[in-house]
Amino acid sequence: MAKSVLVIGGGPAGLGAAKALGSLGIPTVLVEKEDKLGGRPVIEDYHTLIPRKMKPDQVIGPFVSDVQNNPNVDVKLGTEVEAIEGEAPNFKVKLSNGDTVEASAIVVATGFQHFDPKRKGELGYGIYPDVITNLELEQMFSREGKLYRPSNGELPKRVAFVFCVGSRDRQLGVTNVHCCRYGCALSGLQGTEIREHYPEVDVFCYYMDVRTYGTWEYPFYWEPQEKHGVRYVRGRIAEITYSPSDGRLRVKHEDTIVQRPSEVPMDLVVLVLGMEPSEGTKKIAKMLGLAQDPDSLFLVPAEEAASNITSNKAGVFIAGACKGPIDIESSIAEGEAAGAEAAAFIGAKVTA
Amino acid sequence: MAIHERSLVEPERVLRKERLVIDGVDVSGDWNLVILPRVIEDYDLDFLDEVLKQPEGKTILQCYQCSYCTASCPVHNYWDERYNPRHFIYLARLGLIDELQKRADVIWRCVSCHKCTHRCPKGVLVEETLKAILKVMSKKGLIEEYPSKKFDTFFLEAVFEHGRIEDGELLFGWIEKQGYQVFKDPILKKPIPFLGGTPEWLKQLAVKPIKSMNIDFLILNAKHMLFHPKTKNWNKFKQVLRKVFDEEGVSLAH
Repeated sequence: MAKSVLVIGGGPAGLGAAKALGSLGIPTVLVEKEDKLGGRPVIEDYHTLIPRKMKPDQVIGPFVSDVQNNPNVDVKLGTEVEAIEGEAPNFKVKLSNGDTVEASAIVVATGFQHFDPKRKGELGYGIYPDVITNLELEQMFSREGKLYRPSNGELPKRVAFVFCVGSRDRQLGVTNVHCCRYGCALSGLQGTEIREHYPEVDVFCYYMDVRTYGTWEYPFYWEPQEKHGVRYVRGRIAEITYSPSDGRLRVKHEDTIVQRPSEVPMDLVVLVLGMEPSEGTKKIAKMLGLAQDPDSLFLVPAEEAASNITSNKAGVFIAGACKGPIDIESSIAEGEAAGAEAAAFIGAKVTA
Repeated sequence: MAIHERSLVEPERVLRKERLVIDGVDVSGDWNLVILPRVIEDYDLDFLDEVLKQPEGKTILQCYQCSYCTASCPVHNYWDERYNPRHFIYLARLGLIDELQKRADVIWRCVSCHKCTHRCPKGVLVEETLKAILKVMSKKGLIEEYPSKKFDTFFLEAVFEHGRIEDGELLFGWIEKQGYQVFKDPILKKPIPFLGGTPEWLKQLAVKPIKSMNIDFLILNAKHMLFHPKTKNWNKFKQVLRKVFDEEGVSLAH
């Protein structure tokens, strides 16, 4: 039997790896626990992706069709990995559908999950219908194509973005002290989208710092302010309350520039969610004995490795958001790199 | 209720009433004292729109609060910490009117050195933006006309009449306007600052430079004082200027 590679996870990173391996002619098994390929962006209907403002179908669609149409890639949907035995290059992998796969190398692309904002009770998510997550705002755009207040269906006059919900927060334990990396930029983009379609809606971003790093600074921080009039207010929202007298929410915080407490009325509050390692990531880490960050439990590359896709275990490569917050195009690129590394590891000879 | 540390609460936030009824409950007596909270309860978002309508205010949205301007500002560095250009921009953008009003006595104190504008990494025309903020505050009746503007108007009036100023007339005219007595000759009504009831310090102010002037310059100044110099063809310019003033709603004494 020809040497094959197992890719765990059918999101951006997993698809990148499977596409690279498939096009090199290497037998590949892609295991995805959901019934659909594409990962969070596709399954959860993201609206517009940072940083290139493309739709999930435009970015991930070509990878999905490529992987599905490649005879070298065996896609197993609705399937999970149950047990992994052996060492590289002779892994024996037991799947939930009863199959056993023999793999010479493994690409782990098990991704992340969104922070559950109910854990921050003071922000009122799940209590007040007009407190929503940025994921729900994406779905409002992509599924319903309009902006409204869930409580009464009307257009909000004011929208507030609350940065760093479930990020940079020791109160939640050491698991959530990291920065989510995408939140500032996505809020800039969502604010821009709101202002473009509803110029009468005022948008406020409540920030501690704005971390639109690298080339994201202009499109996702300067442009929303300068061109679209998104307002940035410094201060972390400490509490969200509801005022029955006017039916509006109040965002409580200290404006740290003015150094005064503030309780300003808002109609719709969007919580910018942090990222955590998915259950799958934690499970696979345990199964394979992969090194994890002691705080966040995200996977970490081998200490001596120059490339961050090399895990501490021979023949296992890690790519995408299972290693920590990452944007989608970088995730795809890491997947492709991991696929190529896996091909090199099994000594596949590529012939023209 | 007694406030033991009353000095910590600004007097304007302490309300004392003879009779006080809250939610239908009479709480007069010991409970008749209320401290107003420091909380910001809302923004005045129209304020920013007004600033953006001013030609000088167009760059206000570019500010990202790095405070390069304030660090460079001589007024902030050597005079009063409450004069803070970066902070004024933040307050104006959110429309925190009461905070702007708290600084009404310092906000016009820009010395126009333009270091802020030259150094701003975001290309905010800081000095102009502050003028726009002042203009809107004044337009909305949030501040009294700022003192430096009174001199600006006086100066403009002098220029409007003749196309240029005459130093003596401007200086002594301004001082007279401030309520000091300046002696004038009875025929031409020109100020003779070292005579009559002119205060001593003003006499010194006038005599000192005259003493050190060379004779040609002295004659030139005297000539200017007697026959007010006028810019060539000024009347034509004046007509244009009048039209502009009328369009912009600028009113002068003339």
